Amino acid sequence: MTGVGGMTGLLAVYQKEMWTYFRSPIAYFVVAVFLLGTGYFFLYNIFLTGSAGMDTTLQNMGILLITLIPVISMRLFSAEYSARTMELLSTLPLTPWQIVLGKFLGAVSILLLMTVCTMVNLIPLVLYGNPELLTILSGYIGFVLLGMACLAIGQFFSALTQNQIVAALVTVAVLLAFWWVGHAQNFQNSPALRALVGHLSFALHYGDFIRGLVRSEAVTFFLVTCAMALTLNAAWLQWRR
Amino acid sequence: MSSPVIALESVVKRYGSRTIIHGISFSVAKGEIVGFLGPNGAGKTTTMRMIAGATAASSGKVSVAGFDMATQNHQAARHIGYLPEHPPLYDSLQVDAYLRFVAKVKGVPRAGVANELDRVCTACRLESVYHREVYKLSKGFRQRLGLAQALLGSPQVLLLDEPTSGLDPGQIQETREVIRAFGEQHAVLLSTHILPEVTMICQRVAIINNGRLLAVDSPQGLQRASEQTSSVLLHVRAPEQHLRAELLAIAGVVGVSVQAFADAAARSGPYSDADAATHSGPRSDARDAANSAPATTDEWASLIVECQVDERDGVEAAIARAVATRWQLLKLERRQPTLENVFLRYVSAAPATEELAA
Repeated sequence: MTGVGGMTGLLAVYQKEMWTYFRSPIAYFVVAVFLLGTGYFFLYNIFLTGSAGMDTTLQNMGILLITLIPVISMRLFSAEYSARTMELLSTLPLTPWQIVLGKFLGAVSILLLMTVCTMVNLIPLVLYGNPELLTILSGYIGFVLLGMACLAIGQFFSALTQNQIVAALVTVAVLLAFWWVGHAQNFQNSPALRALVGHLSFALHYGDFIRGLVRSEAVTFFLVTCAMALTLNAAWLQWRR
Repeated sequence: MSSPVIALESVVKRYGSRTIIHGISFSVAKGEIVGFLGPNGAGKTTTMRMIAGATAASSGKVSVAGFDMATQNHQAARHIGYLPEHPPLYDSLQVDAYLRFVAKVKGVPRAGVANELDRVCTACRLESVYHREVYKLSKGFRQRLGLAQALLGSPQVLLLDEPTSGLDPGQIQETREVIRAFGEQHAVLLSTHILPEVTMICQRVAIINNGRLLAVDSPQGLQRASEQTSSVLLHVRAPEQHLRAELLAIAGVVGVSVQAFADAAARSGPYSDADAATHSGPRSDARDAANSAPATTDEWASLIVECQVDERDGVEAAIARAVATRWQLLKLERRQPTLENVFLRYVSAAPATEELAA
């Protein structure tokens, strides 16, 4: 997995993923729907609050993201199984990690594209208001980290089934659980349990970023979530052989 | 002979409590094309997948190009070209993009990719669809694109799971030529249902059923070993009773079965209406005569005779002499047991032992 050979295989998988996204309607569809939703929330929030900020919009984007991520992630492995192309990937000189990372980077590229596209919203904010750009930047960092964690989880569930719909539904369920688990704090008396559900909550960590706090705990949380999901993913590919 | 490029030693594959492959051992050397024969569900594809590294053996050892597939499958993969049962194609890519992806992963140097793509596309007749999306390809093109993908990078080992399925006769011919040419320098293992294919391009055949290897030999060797007797087919005009006695007297003739030519013609029916019209007169006469004086008739009739003979030399000549000196010999043909019979014999014998074992 190290060395030039390792990179070549990873890049080949990445390139293949990107061809697939842009030769099929997936990328265009996901980006378009996401922009439509974000645009609606942005206009609504701006006219409702009258302040040049992105905090509520970013909060809404988080929920929208959780419902759209499975559309990207569901096909990552399920489609390879059902088209029987996994047979090719598993017999080519590729390690499970090259396959997993190549696919993950491809999906993250789509996530970044979605993210960058929503930045059109910043133009009117800068033109007609005085937004706190650093706070917004922090929110965007959180948004990308949240998206990466969600993609890694979705990619893992996609590797477990050849049915894309099942992969998507399981992913949505798990992501919503991680999003809302913070609310369970209100029902806990034990401080330890309150802390635990707080640590697990996507919404609470993401909320920090939106408020302009790039906390190392939150950054680590999302990155560790990614790493765990991707490790499980690679281990599963190795094991199912 | 050079050391084997593919070697299987008592390979077992289990899925849960079910054993699919029961200890298979065989090898394929460089420059050899080995045919893998067996009915559906015999374990051909599972064995191919283990050699290709798509799945690991439960026990035993699979080695390819000197690498142990249990631990070094990544290194071995560079030396393997694999066409699975269903060509593994990305529908949304174009043919050239797909091949470029495989070439890159196989480590074909960037400068050599264009040449390599040209080479496999020419060999597999894909030039006309080079820039087409894969999902638009017909079944024959998909199959050949799968083969082209396997040929990329000139791997030492080529594993082909039913490479000619879905092709028309012309394409089958071309594909066989490609495989034959490739097999001169590399090791090829191909599974197939088409028995003549094996006789035509394989130096050796491995017959598998219920996860057990039943025989490994050359197609000719299998044919020889399978049946001690073969048959000689005669078309004669002669009196049936005398002919039968005469033939049975020849050393080497084990059995004789006689059919009136008219019956045989009616049954097999390869004759045109014109033939039937010209022959209708004499034929009905012969049959009437046979009916009126059945067993002892001395009258000549057109007969098709099948003699079971053993493997001694000169038996055809003896039969020909015996018939031709007294009667009229129209045709004499030696019939070898076909590979089909050999295959069916091995395969149909196996379930019985299986039941006993269970």
